[in-house]
Amino acid sequence: MDFFSKIFELFSTGKYMESIFEGLKNTFIISVFAALLGLLLGTVVAMVTIARPSAAMKLPKAICKIYLTVIRGTPMALQLFIMAYVVFAIRGFPQIITAIIAFGINSGAYVAENVRAGIMSVDIGQTEAGRALGLPSRVTMLKIVIPQAIKNVIPAIGNELIALIKETSIVSMIGMYDLTFAAKVIGGGNNMASYLIPMTVVALFYLAIVYALTLGIKIIEKRLRAGDKN
Amino acid sequence: MIKIENLKKSFGTLEVLRGINIEIAEGEKIAVIGPSGCGKSTFLRCINCMEDPTGGSIVFEGVDIADPKVDINIHREKIGMVFQQFNLFNNKTVIENIMLAPVYVGMKALRKKKKENRKIKLSNLFKRAEDKRPLLEITETKESIKASARARAEELLLRIGLLDKADEYPSRLSGGQKQRIAIVRALAMNPRVILFDEPTSALDPEMVGEVLDLMKTLADEGMTMVIVTHEMAFAREVASRVIFIADGQILEEGTPAEVFDSPKHPRLQDFLSKVL
Ligand SMILES: Nc1ncnc2c1ncn2[C@@H]1O[C@H](COP(=O)(O)OP(=O)(O)O)[C@@H](O)[C@H]1O
Ligand SMILES: [Mg+2]
Repeated sequence: MDFFSKIFELFSTGKYMESIFEGLKNTFIISVFAALLGLLLGTVVAMVTIARPSAAMKLPKAICKIYLTVIRGTPMALQLFIMAYVVFAIRGFPQIITAIIAFGINSGAYVAENVRAGIMSVDIGQTEAGRALGLPSRVTMLKIVIPQAIKNVIPAIGNELIALIKETSIVSMIGMYDLTFAAKVIGGGNNMASYLIPMTVVALFYLAIVYALTLGIKIIEKRLRAGDKN
Repeated sequence: MIKIENLKKSFGTLEVLRGINIEIAEGEKIAVIGPSGCGKSTFLRCINCMEDPTGGSIVFEGVDIADPKVDINIHREKIGMVFQQFNLFNNKTVIENIMLAPVYVGMKALRKKKKENRKIKLSNLFKRAEDKRPLLEITETKESIKASARARAEELLLRIGLLDKADEYPSRLSGGQKQRIAIVRALAMNPRVILFDEPTSALDPEMVGEVLDLMKTLADEGMTMVIVTHEMAFAREVASRVIFIADGQILEEGTPAEVFDSPKHPRLQDFLSKVL
């Protein structure tokens, strides 16, 4: 029962657990702030994308289109490298900020597509009724369309968050101390000299986070449906 | 009250309206009839610029609202619209549906007054005591605006016998109830005119009557109404004028008796022979 005794060793060794929690903390921080940035950016981009074409919107629309195409058409790892080694290649610039920005920008592109689809799925009659009453389009959006769109996009946004959390593991490639990096360190020659155990444990941590998030989303969905507003 | 001149509307290369001219006086009830796809909805939706006209003018209370430079929202507050598909706000209760726009308008006016007062205060700083302008009196508060909108909404719901549904969501109502609520939602803004786009076409037959009855009451009270309808009996009874649209133009207009009993244009004769 070498496997289980090794797992026990990992859990009972203070410095290993410290490594894991240090990594967990960074994974958590990157995920949460990148998700917030992504939601904000994605919503704004979605608004620009669906806005009526006009002279003033031409440039913003073009920028958003390029953003969506480039971000969704290139690998996340490459985007992270560019952020780390080109854009923020400033000595002493906190890596965690680099990671948050890189993942936030990436996530925003996918959120934008989800939000756009969610808004388009709300019956156009809802907007027309608001506008016909003299409500400006901003107010109609905020009070009528977006509340209904949110319900439609929650499952898709939830999937995006889950994907984001798992994808943050590539920050270990630029030497950042996240959950995955902690597994590498613990498994290294000076420590346990075996990757199987720490990698398994870390995988369980990811699983637990994702599972908890999935449950949370299910509950939110159910709550929204219980309102029976549609 | 509304004067429409040479109104044109195209969708891309499709020319739907080719120059509509009509003047609608206060208290008139205009029934708009015509074959499907002839542009009745487009005409109605141009009146409150839900569709931007491609040409012509729509003068409402002295302002050409077809001009893209005017703030259309202010005018839409005075032009109610009732849709075939009701379009109640699904995320709002019945009473919230009715209160939303009046509260918004009330709050907008309140913000404007407060802003004006800030300006007056600022300019007063630089004036001698005897030159200082008095502040505008503000009696409304957010609460009082909401309360009066609620009172008005309740009064309207009571009138159509649906006060007990005030806190329901639209999904729990029948089509006839939804449409009657959509009508009082428009009424809550105290509009000068209400536009109806086939208000009974999406209803089960047994619910058509209740909606038409409500519209008849409004008509009797003197509301100005423009009604796109296939209910010829209703048009005959309620309309002060019937207009027949085909080929993107008004081909014939007159009193219900003139239009229904002695149609002149062959297209109208043909249309009536199919629907009557
Ligand atoms: N938004 C639109 N884009 C393109 N074509 C439209 C649009 N709205 C209406 N049309 C076309 O304009 C014509 C008139 O439509 P409509 O006004 O809805 O007719 P009606 O209400 O008399 O049945 C139809 O041929 C319809 O296909
Ligand atoms: Mg129509």
